[in-house]
Amino acid sequence: MFSNSQFEPNSAFSGGGFMSSQPTQPYESSSSSSSSTTKGIVPVTVKQINESSHSGGEKSGIVINGVEITNVSLVGLVCDKDVSKVTEVKFTLDDGTGRIDCKRWVNESFDAREMESVQDGTYVRLNGHLKTFQGNQQLLVFSVRPIVDFNEVTFHYIECIHFYSKNSESQLGQQVGDATQSHTLNANQATTLNPVMPSQNSDGNGRKNLDDMILDYLKQPACTARQQGIHLDEIAQQLKVPKNKLEGVIQSLEGDGLIYSTIDEYHFKHVEL
Amino acid sequence: MDTSSPAAFVNGALLRRYIGQKVRAVVQVIRSDIGSVTGKSTDDQQIVVKGSPPPSLTTFLEVIGIAESDNTIRADVWTNFGDNFDAGNYNELCKLANGEFRHMFI
Repeated sequence: MFSNSQFEPNSAFSGGGFMSSQPTQPYESSSSSSSSTTKGIVPVTVKQINESSHSGGEKSGIVINGVEITNVSLVGLVCDKDVSKVTEVKFTLDDGTGRIDCKRWVNESFDAREMESVQDGTYVRLNGHLKTFQGNQQLLVFSVRPIVDFNEVTFHYIECIHFYSKNSESQLGQQVGDATQSHTLNANQATTLNPVMPSQNSDGNGRKNLDDMILDYLKQPACTARQQGIHLDEIAQQLKVPKNKLEGVIQSLEGDGLIYSTIDEYHFKHVEL
Repeated sequence: MDTSSPAAFVNGALLRRYIGQKVRAVVQVIRSDIGSVTGKSTDDQQIVVKGSPPPSLTTFLEVIGIAESDNTIRADVWTNFGDNFDAGNYNELCKLANGEFRHMFI
């Protein structure tokens, strides 16, 4: 009866894209599964949404490069704004790569005020949820903000490229994205980028490398053939990494179900599917 | 949903590839007259934009329209991009959007 409905405004904020503790961490850096679901907000172009919806066929969300995505961020021009219904505002977003239908439910004054500042011909940043409706992709928008610094437009497209190439990199296991990454890192002097990109790289790449190194070593036929598994000391020796560094990573790999201990708690083998 | 008219990101050098097609470009305004604006593209080439510019212009201007020649665009959409826009970034974006990542845009 006396529920927490009064504190519901938080849902407007939590839906606003800050679903993880870091505000701009839209994608996971885990490369251990070939198809992962991302719970963050992914920057995409409308063209990417169109291309993947044909191959998907899911109720909500699309798949880009093996990653399932439902929440997206877009930047583009508002067109055909339609306020004929009181509780919902419909419009089309044109980002230069295509157009997508958008819908915003207007239940509170916060929403209504936000939508008033958005007119036809305004550049906006949208965050929303992808849904397939009658065969078409539609965006249920939960946050709209007019753009004031147009470097954000450049930034958005570069972020789309970055996300895409980062995922192709983890898919193919090649350094495809690195050339582009260093390109964009050098070329970008926009202040909005600096907080995001460097921390992304050092955190993501640091952890990813050690996990992968261990898995790669254990996946080798010489290792998988050994029934008793590989001793932790040997892994440390082969990878030239101190044992204490390995221990934490081994535990998390075990927890993820990627490796298992064999004759005792120091021998490990890779889980073969 | 309509992808039938995507606009290609162009700078001065890329404009000639899209003659007759829809393009988008950011130019730094040099001179504005009635019916046209002369601007400098993000790679320092001169571009003339024809059409009806908005009454007031900021230093940078984005135009979306049809490329008429290798240095003219007939624009339908004009957006003021403010005075502190990083042209270098945009230029790099044009190269990426026409190169390796073309499929994400066109």
